[in-house]
Amino acid sequence: MAVMSTPTRRTAARADAAPDKPILLVDGIVKRFDTPDGPLTAVDHVSFTVAAGEFVSVIGPSGCGKSTLFNIIGGLVDGYEGSVSVAGERVAGPHAAIGMIFQEESTFPWRTVIDNVAFPLELAGLPKAERYEKARHFVELVGLAGFERRYPAELSGGMRQRVSMARTLAASPKILLMDEPFAALDEQTRLLLGDKVLQIQQELEQTTLLITHNITEAVQLSDRVLVMTYRPGKLKRSVAIDLPRPRSSEIVSSEAFGHYVAQIWGDLREEASRGLIDDEQHKLRRSGET
Amino acid sequence: MAEAGRLIAAGAPPRRALVRPVMLLRVVIIVAVLVLWQLLAVSGLLYRDVVPSLPAIAAALYRTLSDPGFYLHLATTGYEIVVALLIGGVSGVVVGILLGASRLLSRAYESLLYYLGPTPKIIFFPVMIMWFGVGAGSKIAMGAVSCFFPIALNVAAGMRQIDPVLIRVGRSFRANSWQMVTKIYLPAMRYPVMNGLRIGLGVALIGTLLAETKLSNRGIGFLVIQAYSLFNMPQMYSLLIVLFVLSIGANALIGRFGGNRKGN
Amino acid sequence: MSRAAALSRTWQPAALGVGTVVGAIVLTEVLIRAGLINRFIVPLPSEILAAFPRIVTEENVLSRFLLTVSEALSASVLVAIFGVAGGVLLHRFVLLRQATETWVAAIAAAPLVLIYPLYLVIFGRNATTIVMMGFTAGIAPTMLKTLEGLSGTRRVLINVGKSFNLTPAQQFWKILFPAALPTIFVGLRLGLIFALINIVGVEFLINFGGLGQLINELSERYDLAGTYAAIFFVVLVSVCIFVLTERLERWLRPGG
Repeated sequence: MAVMSTPTRRTAARADAAPDKPILLVDGIVKRFDTPDGPLTAVDHVSFTVAAGEFVSVIGPSGCGKSTLFNIIGGLVDGYEGSVSVAGERVAGPHAAIGMIFQEESTFPWRTVIDNVAFPLELAGLPKAERYEKARHFVELVGLAGFERRYPAELSGGMRQRVSMARTLAASPKILLMDEPFAALDEQTRLLLGDKVLQIQQELEQTTLLITHNITEAVQLSDRVLVMTYRPGKLKRSVAIDLPRPRSSEIVSSEAFGHYVAQIWGDLREEASRGLIDDEQHKLRRSGET
Repeated sequence: MAEAGRLIAAGAPPRRALVRPVMLLRVVIIVAVLVLWQLLAVSGLLYRDVVPSLPAIAAALYRTLSDPGFYLHLATTGYEIVVALLIGGVSGVVVGILLGASRLLSRAYESLLYYLGPTPKIIFFPVMIMWFGVGAGSKIAMGAVSCFFPIALNVAAGMRQIDPVLIRVGRSFRANSWQMVTKIYLPAMRYPVMNGLRIGLGVALIGTLLAETKLSNRGIGFLVIQAYSLFNMPQMYSLLIVLFVLSIGANALIGRFGGNRKGN
Repeated sequence: MSRAAALSRTWQPAALGVGTVVGAIVLTEVLIRAGLINRFIVPLPSEILAAFPRIVTEENVLSRFLLTVSEALSASVLVAIFGVAGGVLLHRFVLLRQATETWVAAIAAAPLVLIYPLYLVIFGRNATTIVMMGFTAGIAPTMLKTLEGLSGTRRVLINVGKSFNLTPAQQFWKILFPAALPTIFVGLRLGLIFALINIVGVEFLINFGGLGQLINELSERYDLAGTYAAIFFVVLVSVCIFVLTERLERWLRPGG
């Protein structure tokens, strides 16, 4: 079962959000799937909370059910036990207060950058001038000023992910939910984009839940890291990251940073090797069948 | 044209120079065909006007294009095709979206469309006449039935090749069904839809024109069969030329407009 | 997933499809008998069903079917010879291909069948017109597919041939042509389908030939039930040929 530590003190006082009243409450989530090999438990009684303005990462080996968790919290998947609540409201389907950023390329290739970012505002029915003005603000926020009229095909992978980010932020979600958004990018771009994300998060005081398998990224960006076990996914440990804020990518070279990474890797390695063994056995079984 | 690049070995003339021989060959082919035609026409080998002389065809072409009555017929055919495309196209897109979105519906009905598609639709014409009369209605019905199938099948296939993450994006922003269709589905499959429309135009054209040749007193198809019954061969050739130029042009236009790239 | 669940996944949709069609037919019967649909425009489905045996015996459906099929076969043979040869020629003579490929593609997209009155004049109102019409309709797709198959041969296979010092003729017969066969078959099938569609259509239009002419005759005789029955029959034949050629193509193309 999970060992939950109390959330660390925020450096800036948040008078509006009571520290013990979380904005996101994940309570006892259990998700099972039917597979050809029999029923599979992807997520096994996962519970945690996220306070307003907090940056929490969920880290785990491949196959630990974190993407399933992402889809459940985002309301894209149902048929699970337990509940997810946002600011007291139960989540049943995609919620207005939750913004999702997906792992894959998700910009609309037929729309320009500004039209991509303005998409949620368009859905909400905002008049053209107003939504372009708002969208432009978010385009600048992610550092793509000047690229408004370009098409995604003309941009690099990192820039496209920034467009997706701006698009989700434009909807002003209370909670930002990200599923390994930098998985497809190289390490340097990751670190720099991580900087960008930190900057944005600090500026907007955006509550963020990041799903990742990258330890460096998790420690660099978060206030708290939740470590998940391999299938069936349970919360193994909650690690409070007590590094100073505001942060930048330079933090990766500090000693404390290394400590946290080592600690988390210690937990993760166990789970990751279980995953590897399970994978190999599965493949042996499969080839034996055919 | 990309073949030209591969074939150019070191030391061969640059690509620009290779355009000349192609143009030259095209001109040679056209001239040769025209010369052979004219020779055949004046040789008397074939029955009378089966192969009319080039000047006769040119004169007929001129007469056709300068006759205001011709444009009335052209307008009739054009109107029939546009309405046929609208009816067949809209219903095709709607059915295609429904089939593409639901695996159950697709497995139940899509093979029906797939196997009924390549059938000679003109044989339904007697039924269309009974249902819609001898006027434009039956021709439009013919065209609509013809283009419904390729459009529906193309749209259904197009739906399935949409990148699933784009659909998840729409759902995560809580777009309603209409918004999903207009802002995500249709733009995401603009190439398959355009391709379906291009094919649909081709078969709607055929359906409508054939119906006109069978039973009508208006339209290009009617003019063609009238020229046949009056044995006015130069006129028939001139009509066929106009018809082919227009249809190939329309096809090229949609092709250019809709792009020829796959995916995306 | 349990075995039963997987099975139901397969026959349930098919049942839905077939069920809907049967349901529509039954509904039509009911509506006509109730007077809601004019029976002089849509005959009773039961009458159409009854007309089938009558059509088969009285109208020599079998001989008509054979006539149409023989026309289609003749056209297909012509399409196969000239279409494949044309494709090979275009592949062999690059300049010719560059000059004419777009023309062939354009012609393939044009309403060629409208030439049938011209063929009526040239060949007369007989089977030749019909076969020529089928040939005209089928040759362009076959040519283009042959060309596509030949030029789509993987570079590495061509290099293998070169490494064995094959002559151009050997290169063609031992490497290019076999490699292109799957695509050529697709083209032949397309050519056959196009030819058949146009043949039946033209039979109907010029009131000559086999099955297409049958429909025209029955409609001119105002034999409503018979016309509908004949149309269904022709659609059935066309679907069967389509499915058969599909199976044949898949069988000839192992692992394709």
